[in-house]
Parts: sequence; C-alpha cells; structure tokens
Amino acid sequence: MRRTPDVVGLGRAFVCYVAVRTSSSHSLPTLALALIPRAVALNLALGALAAALKLPVYLDSVGTIFVAVLAGPVAGMLTGAVSNAVLGILYSPQLFAFIPVAVVIGALAGWAARLGAFRSVVGAAIAGVAIGLAAALTSVPIVIHLFGGLTPSGTGIITIALRMVFGMSLTHAAQVAALSTDVIDKPLSCVLVALLITRLPARLTERLRTSPA
Amino acid sequence: MSALEHWNPLTPLAAATFLVVAAYAAPQPAGAIASFAVALGGAWVLGVGRRVSALALAVALPTSALLLTMDALVPGAPGIATHILALGPVRLDVTAVRVAMLIAAQLGAAIAAMGWVVVGVAPRRLTRALAARGLPAWAAYVLVASLEAVPEARRHAVEVMDAQRCRGLNTGGGIVGRVRALLPLAGPLSVSLVSESEERALALDARGFRPRSRRGTLTPIADPRAERVTRALLWWSSAAVLAWRIAVAWRGSAS
Repeated sequence: MRRTPDVVGLGRAFVCYVAVRTSSSHSLPTLALALIPRAVALNLALGALAAALKLPVYLDSVGTIFVAVLAGPVAGMLTGAVSNAVLGILYSPQLFAFIPVAVVIGALAGWAARLGAFRSVVGAAIAGVAIGLAAALTSVPIVIHLFGGLTPSGTGIITIALRMVFGMSLTHAAQVAALSTDVIDKPLSCVLVALLITRLPARLTERLRTSPA
Repeated sequence: MSALEHWNPLTPLAAATFLVVAAYAAPQPAGAIASFAVALGGAWVLGVGRRVSALALAVALPTSALLLTMDALVPGAPGIATHILALGPVRLDVTAVRVAMLIAAQLGAAIAAMGWVVVGVAPRRLTRALAARGLPAWAAYVLVASLEAVPEARRHAVEVMDAQRCRGLNTGGGIVGRVRALLPLAGPLSVSLVSESEERALALDARGFRPRSRRGTLTPIADPRAERVTRALLWWSSAAVLAWRIAVAWRGSAS
C-alpha cells in the first residue's frame, strides 16, 4: 500500500506553520494587502484566458508570482494560500489540498525576485524552471497520498500513459507528469510577470519594493 | 434555505474538519466509508445535498475511474492476484478495486464534508464568525475582498478579450500566435489590478485601517453554549484521531 498520511500531514502542517509564522511576524503594508485580492482575481482571470486561448498551460499562478515579485515572499505566500482557499470555497474544495504548492510558488518567486531574477526575461525563465520543479515536487506527495496518484485531469492521463509505455512506478510517473506541465507553465508565468512589471508605473513598484515585507 | 444558516458557521467548520480527519486517519476502510456516509447524508439533512453530492462525485468518480483504468492497463507486481476481470492484457484484481474504492470514499468524504461549509455557509458570515474569535482585520479584509473580487474577474477577462479582438488582436491560429496574444490580454488586466489596489489602499488608509486590530460587528453571530460544547468535542476528537494515527505509524516504523 502507498499510504503514509501522517508524513504528508506533518509536511503540510509545517508549510502552513511557516507561512503563518512569517506572515504574522511581518507587517504587510496596506498596498500589499490591497493587492492580494486583485492578484487572486488575476489568477482566476488568466486561468480563464489560457482556457479560452486553448493553451496547454494553467497560468493560474501569475497573480501569486506578480505579488511575490512586487511585495516580497511573505505577500506571495499569503496570496498563494488565499488564492487556493478562496477558489476552493467558490469552485472546488479539492484546491484546499494544494495550498502548500501555492505557498511554495509564492515563496520561491519572492526570493527569486530578491536575487534579481525578474530583471530580465531570461532570468525570469530560469526562475520559472526552478519554481516549476519545486511546485511539481510539492504537488506529487499530495496527489499520491490524497488522490491515489492521479487527478482527474490531463496530468492523470499522462501518468497512466507513462506507466503503460515505460513501466514507471506510480511515484516516478506522477513526478514526470507533474514536471511535464509545471516546467512549461511556471517559466511562461514568470516571463509574463517580468514583461508585465515593465508596464507598471515606476512609482508604484518602488512603493512596494521599499515596503518592510 | 439551509439549516446551516441558523448555526454558528464555526460549528459546521469543526464538523467538516472532524470528518476529513476521520476519513484519512481513522481505521480504514471503515473510517472513510462512515465519514462519506455521514458527510453525504448530513448534507441532504441540512438541505445542501444536491450541490454537495455534485461537488463530491465530480471528483471522486473520475478519480476512481482513472485509478481503475490505470490498474487494469498497467500490469501489477508478479504474484498471486485474484482477478475479477481478465480480457486479454486488461486485468483487474480485487486489491486494485479496493484501493480505488477506498480513495473514492476518502475523497468523497473530504469534499462532501467541506461542501457543508462551501455550499451552506455564506463566506461573509464565516469571516464574521472568525473575526469574532480573534481573526485580525487584515486577514478578514483579504478573505472578504478576495471572495468579492473573484466573481468579477472572469467577466473582466472576457471584456478585455472582446476589447482587444475589436482592436484587431488575433487570438486564434497556431500555438505561438496564441501565446503572443497573452501579453496584450494580460497587460490591461494586471495594470488595472495594480491601479485598483492603489485606490483601495488609499481608501483603507483614509479610514484608519489597522491591520492587527480586531474587527467589530453590528450584528453579532449567535454562539449558543450547546454549539460551543459540540465544537470543543469535535476539535478534541479530531486531535485524538490524529494522535492515534501518528502513534500507530510511529509504532509501525519502530518495530
């Protein structure tokens, strides 16, 4: 049997604890707080746009990465958590299970921005690959322990195909399937954010960057 | 009208948490099956059965169908297996069916239980109840503002897409063309996002918004003693089931 729920539970509890501790120990400026609900909406809007354009990517983390780059990792983590919680409340409760993935995306995007990765498109793409890898590795244990290794989506079908064709184990097939989507989706999201930030008024980005978070 | 509207929103939240914990941490498969039955049955009793069933089955059924498909198509480890279906290379054994059913029951229970809160409790009421229990103003603001912003977002995305198409943007063709169309669509959305946020931040500052203060309410949500006791029992029961699960896993790994 492939079940060790206590390990996953402890991991998720740790991620949430870190998120809550770091967010409570910092005071986010009002502008960052006001930005978070709009970024949650942007996650949904761009996800809808990607679906309307029939693109093979989700683009549902652009708002999270956007806030993380503008206002720092704490705001990014909070945006990721709130985004999945709110979309879970409004549309599909299964999104609650993936809150740790959104938190990891927000944290890594914020730290990558502090290292200057979003100053160029190439840097943003490299950061996107790293974020995609981390997101895939975070989501796989959740998919395996809560969903049995498959989610009812294209990724689940890729997992089955990989197991049939290459005889991979469930864990490896789930990892490759998650990576195959995330290493395209997250670099594209990061490049989009890097391009979008150049279009914003400089006084606004400066106001957010000089904030204490 | 749902019976949940008469309860303090934290009570169904505690009950849902207990059912989710029981579905995954209680002895299996009894824990998952009992939680699924209680969550689904409870939803019908509380008047939210139709929507909660749709939510739960929309995830549990396709997931179990995919798991069965995978187990039927991918040969398992060699050994003694009791096949309940054998059509050429397609073989389905009893263990695979049991695992798929268990996961379907766990997922169904978790989603149906959370469905009590998602479908039966107005998000604003839940936030007010949480605020009454000490949720800081910044968290209450972020939750309520996000819940209000999301429904507008899809409409706004369609409006931007229509406007850009009117200006000659080609959103069809090959994948490269469609990726290129992303920036002119995402640009106005994100710029309006930031400018709206600035206005909201100014409004919050002007009203003396203090992120760490507790929010007051004009219409407090009733919290009778019976519900408080029920909630305490549910939280302690959830903690007890989790502690038991961790102890069992600990003993298993030590031996």
